[in-house]
Amino acid sequence: MKEATAIRTQEVCSVRVGDTLYGIPIAHVLEILGKPATQPVPLAPYFVGGLVHYRGEVLTAVSLRRLLGMEAARAPEDVLVFETPESIFGLFVDSVGEVLHVSGEDHEPNPTTLDARRQALFAGAWKLKDRLLVSLEPERLEPMRLAGAFPA
Amino acid sequence: MDDLTREFLLESQEGLDRMERCLTELEARPDDAELIAEIFRSVHTIKGTTGFLGFSRLEALSHAGENLLGLLREGELTVHPPIISGLLALLDRLRGILRAIEAAGSEGEGRQEDGAIIAQLEALQQPESAATVAEPVLAAATPAPTRRRRTTGRRGARPGVHPPQSASLPGAPEEAGPPRDNEPSPLEPDVRFRAAASGEETHPRPARPMKDLLPAQEPTVPSATADSTLRVDVELLNRMMNLVGELVLTRNQILQATSADAGFSLLGRRLDMVTADLRESVMKARMQPVSYVFSRFPRLVRDLSLSLNKRVRLEMEGQETELDKSLLEAIRDPLTHSIRNAIDHGIESPEARVAAGKPAEGIVRLRACHEGSHVIVEVHDDGAGMRIDRIRDKAVERGLVPAQRAEQMNEREILQLIFLPGFSTAAAVTSVSGRGVGMDVVRTNVEKIGGKVEVESRAGRGSVLRLRIPLTLAIIPALIVRSRGQNFALPQSSLTELVHLSTGQTDSRMEWLENAALYRLRGHLLPLVFLDRLLQQPPGEPSAPCDIAILNADGRRFGLVIDGLADPEEIVVKPLAAVLREIGYYAGATILGNGEMALILNPGAIAQHANVTFTGAFEESQVNGRQAGQRDYLVVATGGRRAALPLETVVRIERIPQSRIERAGSRPVLRFEGTLLPLDDAAGFLADSGNPDAQTTVVVCRDGERQVGMTVSEVLDVSAGGLLAEAGTGAVADGITLLQEQVTGVVQLSGIPPLDATLAPTRSEEEQR
Repeated sequence: MKEATAIRTQEVCSVRVGDTLYGIPIAHVLEILGKPATQPVPLAPYFVGGLVHYRGEVLTAVSLRRLLGMEAARAPEDVLVFETPESIFGLFVDSVGEVLHVSGEDHEPNPTTLDARRQALFAGAWKLKDRLLVSLEPERLEPMRLAGAFPA
Repeated sequence: MDDLTREFLLESQEGLDRMERCLTELEARPDDAELIAEIFRSVHTIKGTTGFLGFSRLEALSHAGENLLGLLREGELTVHPPIISGLLALLDRLRGILRAIEAAGSEGEGRQEDGAIIAQLEALQQPESAATVAEPVLAAATPAPTRRRRTTGRRGARPGVHPPQSASLPGAPEEAGPPRDNEPSPLEPDVRFRAAASGEETHPRPARPMKDLLPAQEPTVPSATADSTLRVDVELLNRMMNLVGELVLTRNQILQATSADAGFSLLGRRLDMVTADLRESVMKARMQPVSYVFSRFPRLVRDLSLSLNKRVRLEMEGQETELDKSLLEAIRDPLTHSIRNAIDHGIESPEARVAAGKPAEGIVRLRACHEGSHVIVEVHDDGAGMRIDRIRDKAVERGLVPAQRAEQMNEREILQLIFLPGFSTAAAVTSVSGRGVGMDVVRTNVEKIGGKVEVESRAGRGSVLRLRIPLTLAIIPALIVRSRGQNFALPQSSLTELVHLSTGQTDSRMEWLENAALYRLRGHLLPLVFLDRLLQQPPGEPSAPCDIAILNADGRRFGLVIDGLADPEEIVVKPLAAVLREIGYYAGATILGNGEMALILNPGAIAQHANVTFTGAFEESQVNGRQAGQRDYLVVATGGRRAALPLETVVRIERIPQSRIERAGSRPVLRFEGTLLPLDDAAGFLADSGNPDAQTTVVVCRDGERQVGMTVSEVLDVSAGGLLAEAGTGAVADGITLLQEQVTGVVQLSGIPPLDATLAPTRSEEEQR
């Protein structure tokens, strides 16, 4: 969060899951896959949405809906591809929206009233004109880390 | 330090890493026989090698450890904490000696402390005294707190990680402790996955043999060849292989998508050619001649024959035969075991040989050659051969096979018994072999890399052990199967046959013993594992048609029940993320030719989970009880009639849409693997069905030189059929057989007329491809 405030403005990719708008700094987004074919993995940890094909590799993709305990999406979902020092992985979201410019001044930390799971997943929020943009950091969504942080 | 010692150090260190991991796991799961067997093998391998390298401390220690582990393996002792402590103490001691050898070239002093550990291990062999005697002795041998701290400290460590070795040995030269696993390469997850996919241990193999890191090994004078050759990191080659695999898939998709367009198909074909060439080149770059492994054997043979007072000459053939680098590493141990066995058990003493009219000097011949997409490596000895009666007696004595069944087995089947775990015919346990791990290790290791082991033996003439190794691991043949609408890939190497159950048959043909499902395959009960239940997929209709894939995973046979079959395909193994690897049932994932993804199943892990036990001996015995004059037939239904096809003529059974069947003139033909098959429409489906999507089953058969196809409505079974003699004359009736108490007509393949060249104008074009 310190970093977020240090940078005056930055570009974030907005994505929608349910009624909430989330933002991920585009520097962290390797690629956006529009409604790719997905392969479910039986017996996988609950937060794994399935496998997607990305440039010759098979990526594990985390489902934000499942992670947040929401019901499954009815329509095909988009996938963001992230690269962290640990791995390359995907994130299922309902849809990817436009790129927004947000200012560090508009960034607020997570409210203390938020439940523990969301506290751990979210990195605060940006105040947009008419709504909030929840900040997500790919490092917190890395599958191996999730397996340790949120066992079934 | 010579190459042999260096290799020994490398292998032993890997073995000890494995042992340490297994030991710590064993503490949590003391009843796991697999773990005990794994530890036993590690110690056994060290013992087997130290003997002829002359490391007597290591030999004495590992011998003591092996005795204890032998009791554990036989179930005569149960694992309890003092035993684990004792074994860990042994492990640390072995490690210490290995380090000394690495630094100074000799084991150094310390026999007294060794004696304490050996005494401790011996004391542990007495079940009641173990708990009381062990700890004090241990305390005397090694300061207990130090040892404890070290082992607990490492428990959570990543498998295969060593503490920096030079650090723990003051005064050791800096280069003696190679920075092996401490610098994981960026590609490491990939490498670890590959190892897992091939069923090997998951700790990363050091990318380079130790000798590459030692300055002494560097060539000092650049030779002429050095100018035209280049050292390339294996990781880079792995990466290239991956990318080429990817290109192959993309090519397949392009070819599929553009098959209709004439202009594209020319480009597509060129792409096809370039891709094939590229793939071959990269595969070639990963190849190394088998001489790389063979070169260590002359010394081994010499030392072994000396210590056993035998005269043995080693002959090697086909040393230039090339094999994928990773596979080459994988056959090193199995080959060493096999050669050891050939000399210890195969070749007789000079006196016995002369008495038998053979030259006093025995010959062990190592031969490598290509055969199709496999490399064959043979270990041949001209010794006494294996004594069938002794193998049979031993197997019965050890309870590996019931006496009654053993009586019915033929020679070939009995020979297979030597691959069972715990089998050994050596009268005495020697320092070379005879613990009964050798052959089962050979088989397990070779099957792990998708290979096969065969054995032949002739009394008085010698034995041949044949390893059949696939050329590459990167692309494996697999059968794509379906379960609840999802694709899964089954490696062909473990697939032995397929059984289809149509609607209604599922209830009648599966048998239940309480809640264990069984299938009667030619009279033998086979445990069934339901893939959908195993993977906790939503349940399907109870009596829907299904297929049973009969799998053989390291000698464990079972039937995997799946919803249906798709196509056989060559697949590129893709690694899975760590969170998914942990599930255990998947060996990876792959992208199919049509762009869909499939999870690759790991039959060994499934067998293990379902508690399928080892049945290797019985799989062969199912042919027994067959009387003279009987053959196996494929029983099919053609339009309501039963018919039989001699099983040895059947090449493949295919489900195909009718649209794939074309017509040459008035004759139905099928394009099959680039050739055109004349089709016998015995069932008469093609005539009355106008629906091109309807599926037809075609049995592809070999008829002399040619192949022919036959449409059938259903494949019923495989069964042994007897000859029928005509009443009165006794003449054998032609064209009918008695199958399952029913007289059944045998299809006369020669009756299918050949394709007239003029009727098949597409044929020449086909052949050009």
